[in-house]
Parts: sequence; structure tokens; C-alpha cells
Amino acid sequence: MQNARSLAGVFILAALCGCAGLFPQTATLRETLPQELHRKVELKEVPFFPQREYQCGPASLATLLNEAGVKVTPEDLVPEVYLPERKGSLQIEMLAAPRRHGLVSYQLAPRFSDLLTEIAAGNPVIVLQNLGLMESWHYAVAIGYDYDWGKLYLRSGESRRQVMPFAISEFVWMRSGYWAMVALPPDRIAATADESRWLSAVAALERPDPRAARTAYQTFLKRWPDNVNAAIGLANTHHALGELRDAEAVLRRAAQRAPDSVIVLNNLAQTLADEGRDAEALHFIERAAALGGPFAGAVEETRKAIRARLKK
Amino acid sequence: MNAWAKIISRLLIALMIWTPYQIATAGIIGTDQVVASTSQMDRTTVLNFLSRSDVANKLQSLGIDPATANDRVAAMTDQEVQSLAGRINAMPAGGVSNGAAVVIILIIAAAVWWFWQR
Repeated sequence: MQNARSLAGVFILAALCGCAGLFPQTATLRETLPQELHRKVELKEVPFFPQREYQCGPASLATLLNEAGVKVTPEDLVPEVYLPERKGSLQIEMLAAPRRHGLVSYQLAPRFSDLLTEIAAGNPVIVLQNLGLMESWHYAVAIGYDYDWGKLYLRSGESRRQVMPFAISEFVWMRSGYWAMVALPPDRIAATADESRWLSAVAALERPDPRAARTAYQTFLKRWPDNVNAAIGLANTHHALGELRDAEAVLRRAAQRAPDSVIVLNNLAQTLADEGRDAEALHFIERAAALGGPFAGAVEETRKAIRARLKK
Repeated sequence: MNAWAKIISRLLIALMIWTPYQIATAGIIGTDQVVASTSQMDRTTVLNFLSRSDVANKLQSLGIDPATANDRVAAMTDQEVQSLAGRINAMPAGGVSNGAAVVIILIIAAAVWWFWQR
């Protein structure tokens, strides 16, 4: 049995023949696989949308979005990510589209073990593969793996359950620089999320969907309560949604935590001014102006406006 | 139409494209400025709006209607717009179908190569 396994797994084969250059991460995965991960995971309930010609982008995205609770079809997503003249979808647009549906898009770190960690956490992952000799770029959704056999399971193109040895899947994936993404509802955080990169992912949601961004910031601050930038972001979404009281409360707490943050002071002053409390606002904007720094120009603008209103 | 009128009408078109992206209220320092790394902090807004209309134009030239192109650009961050501007055509666009055949060829190639190694 042990012998059969060794022969069957290209994963082990890779280690045997020392072709680490072709699939370097597969070769070292044995040591680096986090202990807490299950050896075998398959997200069987993840929906499948067979690809129409060239439209693996919309099909893969529809898979992720439906899994995250957004009811869309690949056809709905064609106008959001597909480029007719390129007969395909760009990575940046794949990341941008889920935001229009209130989800946080996150590009994974280029690590095989992170891919497995996300799957184990229940998050299907879109990977960009190059399947041919030249430019045959293809999006597929990784939905499971079997560590002992070294196999990855994917929803890909027209196959509902494609089985690919780790080594092969790494070989075709490596050529995109291990590009992979997840898209999650704003009340969740990716299993492999890095604090500052997750914050950028949440901030990217602010413009397309401030309500979802507000939830995402709140989720973020539960995990990383000391992050002043996230507090600024939360306050900005409150402000954008016209919730000035909430914005003020968040910024006041942030100002206690980071009394020297020019941005916190400036935005607090502006929020107070918007509430019609210019006298209070002046106190904070003077403090911000005294600190200087790269935002001095913006602070000066705010100060001028507040002073002009006070003179009236 | 004289040259000035041309310049002004171009500027107006650009401003129309730009308007939906300007959600930050006056006086508030936007989160994207906070989150962006310091090297990007001094990026001017002008550069940004040029990039946005540039990317929207590129999308149009690749077969997207103007309104859809603007919506698509609106979902991107400043950083994403910057990296797309000017090099859309150099970026991979995932689109090929399953490619099962290619994968099989790869597997065979790997197997042959393995035996050859022994």
C-alpha cells in the first residue's frame, strides 16, 4: 500500500527525482504543511458553473460569489470582468468585481500552503494557471486536496471535479507567480490574512460599497483592535454614510489611542465641523496643524474652512 | 473649433469621467491615502484621474461600452488603476477553456522525464 501510494503521488515523485526547480513548493510542502490542517478536505457543496468559451473568469467568480452568498450567474458577471478583444479576464478585474457585490477580495500570498489553508478553512480559491506552452491563461477554483496522495481538486472549465497532482498544479500555477484570490463576505476574514494587506483589501471596498466596508472594518477591528488606520477607515465609512455621530465616536477613541495621528485629528475636526461644532473642531485642527507631516496641506485646508465659518 | 475650445471640452469630458470617483468629502483624508504606502502618498490626484480615464478608454477599446467601462474602473483601487494604466495589453487575461489535453501532455512529459532521469 505504501509502495502504491508512493508511485501514485506525483507529489512524492517530485521529491524523489529532485526536480524541485519545476515545482519547488511541492517538494518542500511536506515540512511546511501546518500541523493543524486536515490531511484531506473537499468543499463538495461549492457550486459549479461550466465555462462557456473563453469565460473561465466569469464562471470562476460566480463560483466564489455564490459560495459567499451572492446569487449571480456567470452571465451576470460577463459585463463586469470579461474583455471581448482579449478573450479573457484580467486579474485586477477579477479582484475588483466581487467588491461590487459587497465582498472583500484578497490576493493570497504566493504560497502553496496558504492555498491549502484557505481551502481547509472552507474558502474556495481562484488560481490563475498557464496551461499551454505560450499564453494559455486559465482561471480555476481550487475546492479540495488530498495531502497523502498529493492531489488538488478543482472546479475548472467544463469539469466539475478536476483532479490534479500537486506537482502539476504547481507547475501550471507557478507561471502566474502563484496568483490566487479569495472573496469573502465582510463579516469574515481570510484564514491566511495578513493584517496590513487585509486592511488594504477592506479599504478597496470603501468606494464600491461603503456599507459592506463598514461591516468589514468592524470585523477587522475585532481581530486587530489596535489598528488606528482601520479606525480611520471605519470612521470614513460612517462619514460617507452620513453617520457623523458614529464617525465622531470612533475617531475620539482613536485619538485617545494615537494622540499624534494627524489624520485622526484632521478627520475628527472635519466631522465635528460637519456636525456644526466648529469651536470644538478648531481645537483638534490646531493640534493637527502643530504636528505637521505629509498631510499638512490637507490640514491647512480644513483649518481655513473651519476658521472661515467661525468668523461668520 | 479653435484650440482652446478643444482643450476645454476635453477637460470637461475628463472631469465627467472623474466625478463618480470623488466620493471623499471635502476635508476628510481618505483611507486609501492612509493605507497606501508612503511612496505612493505624494501621488497627485491629477495623475490618478488621468489614469482612471486612460484605463476606462483602454477597456472601451477592448470591446466594452463606455458606461460599463466606467463602472468597472470605479471598482478598482488607485493602486490597481496605476498598475493597469498603460500596460493592459501586457497583462495575462485568463480565458482558455479547460485545456485538459494540455495537462495530459504535461503529465506524460513529466512521467517521461522522470523515467529518463532514472
